[in-house]
Amino acid sequence: MVTREEQDLAVKILDEKTNRQLLYYLDICTRCGICKDACHQYVATGDVLYLPASRAQLIRKVFRKYFTIQGKLIPSVVEATAPNDKLLEDLYRASYACTSCRRCMYYCPFSIDTTWFTSIGRAMLVAIGRGATILGELADAAIMKGDNIDMFRDILIDGLKDTEDEFKARVGDPSATIPIGKKGAHSLYVALAGTHTILPMAIIFHQAKADWSLSLFEAANYGYFYGDTARAKKIAQRFVDEAKALGVQELIISECGHAYRVMEFLYEAWAKEKLPFKIRAVVDVMHDYIKEGRIKLKPGSLLEPVTYHDPCQVGRNGGFYEEPRNIVKAVAADYREMTPNREKQWCCGGGGGLVAESEFDTLRQVSGQKKVEQIRKTGAKVLVTPCENCRLQIEMLNEKNNLGIRISSMMDLVVESMDLPGAKPA
Amino acid sequence: MDWFSFIVAGIMVYVAVAVFLIGSIYRVIQWRRAPKSTVKQGMFPRAENPFKRTLKLGKDSLLFPQVLDTDRWMWFFVIGMHLAGIGLFFGHLRLLFEITPLYNALGAGGMETLASWVGGAIGISLFIAFTYFLLRRFKSPYRELSVPEDYLLLLLILLLVLLGDHLRLTHPFDLASYRDYMSSLLHFKPAFPTAITFSADKWVLDAHVLTANMLLIYFPFSKLVHAMGGFAGNLLRSE
Repeated sequence: MVTREEQDLAVKILDEKTNRQLLYYLDICTRCGICKDACHQYVATGDVLYLPASRAQLIRKVFRKYFTIQGKLIPSVVEATAPNDKLLEDLYRASYACTSCRRCMYYCPFSIDTTWFTSIGRAMLVAIGRGATILGELADAAIMKGDNIDMFRDILIDGLKDTEDEFKARVGDPSATIPIGKKGAHSLYVALAGTHTILPMAIIFHQAKADWSLSLFEAANYGYFYGDTARAKKIAQRFVDEAKALGVQELIISECGHAYRVMEFLYEAWAKEKLPFKIRAVVDVMHDYIKEGRIKLKPGSLLEPVTYHDPCQVGRNGGFYEEPRNIVKAVAADYREMTPNREKQWCCGGGGGLVAESEFDTLRQVSGQKKVEQIRKTGAKVLVTPCENCRLQIEMLNEKNNLGIRISSMMDLVVESMDLPGAKPA
Repeated sequence: MDWFSFIVAGIMVYVAVAVFLIGSIYRVIQWRRAPKSTVKQGMFPRAENPFKRTLKLGKDSLLFPQVLDTDRWMWFFVIGMHLAGIGLFFGHLRLLFEITPLYNALGAGGMETLASWVGGAIGISLFIAFTYFLLRRFKSPYRELSVPEDYLLLLLILLLVLLGDHLRLTHPFDLASYRDYMSSLLHFKPAFPTAITFSADKWVLDAHVLTANMLLIYFPFSKLVHAMGGFAGNLLRSE
């Protein structure tokens, strides 16, 4: 049962997070419900709590209770409510289930950004110890790694030996290395955990003769998913400090939609500083290499019908619609577009940290049905997407719905389509 | 003017207009004084320059293309209601000032015929649109999404429109008398002319003005402030 102190703390967080944008959104929503058809979770489940305006309404109820005249004079008319157990339980489900795709913002006649509410909801829950445990643990693990990088450095470098050997074999250059901690490098590349986004990019950087260095840290930011700005900032700061120390000119974020969004659109506001380097999405970097002729792809080398999924944080919220399509079209003999696409693209259902939260597995599966329908309609056999969360989610949808497709990252597609001197290991 | 009319159609009008103006200005000041997050919230594709951004803002805020894309019936009634609302504003303005160019072009008789037809059409359109909005709220999922305020506001507006329609449609419209009343308000000497005082419609007019006053007073505290803040929301979209 929620205590009075916890309620006060949740309200304090709401007060601290209240800014101009939130006030607009609190005041102007007419509860017209136009957003209902925009949310893949509401459309798939019919659960009103997932309707974007309902998610926002939970925060509005608390705000009205403590900060408005009407909430004090006519609380039942405006449904002003204290953050009681029922409200907090609903807030948990409404906030942590949201994939932050912002499709509802696109369709809202007043452009209300529901993620503004769900991120505040998450922050309120974190403050009173009701945040999503797994996301908090993953965030803390990332911070711990940052705080003890001297202890991890050698383990990380040792772990890359096999990858480096494969890299040398693929590019046919025994002297090739995966540079780490290279002072004065032009770019610092922040990959994902594991080596699956290191090997292909090492090959691409090598073939493009790029001056790069690999970050010791991974791009994913579970602090952001958790809803804790302080943790999220700390996680991002690990490679921001690394980039500053190396003196790079650009920080390249791997195929991870939310990690790119955090760095390009949120970090400077959180840290209140202007970064001395440029933030780049890896898909944009690969596109430039192709455009500049630094890497060459074999046109039409992908014979199977192929489609492209716009990750919400890369497309609608990141601005890259044509670059990834140009790359796919450069190698596809039979390219097929999903409908709707670009800014109207349906979310795959795996964003916002959901892929890591097993409690939402069923919801992920059900709410991915719009994506399943879209993919089926194309008849594609290959789906390309430059976002790890989308890739994992669509792989799950592929398996559960027998779609029979192969899901590829953009960098794997690029490497497969390049003429490399070395052979691909069997 | 009897004491009830004097309070409702006299004193209260000034109070309502003052609350509406001061409250609306206060609401805008409250928004502007709140710290603005420096997070760029815009969606893509972004307008390439300020001119295109302004055009997009106008299109999103006045034509509601996203509503058209999602719910065509809702768009039809929303557009109809807002257009009728503009017409309503000019119709009531005519109780203060004559729209001279139109009057000169049509003549007194023509102007009356036009006002009668357009005013009637506006009144009926508003009644139909707000009835649709109210009935829609009883349907799931809008029912679950609605709070009592949503129903009360719609009922208040519907009552206001119905009373207005009664005054406009049930018998010949006594423009001169209503102009006398509006003029008395402007001169801070509220009074009903004899024709109204001894008319059976006096109570209808009182009720019409009372509901209008209530709407004006509640406006700054209600979701109706989307009429001002909606533009700000849509501007953030292309930030």
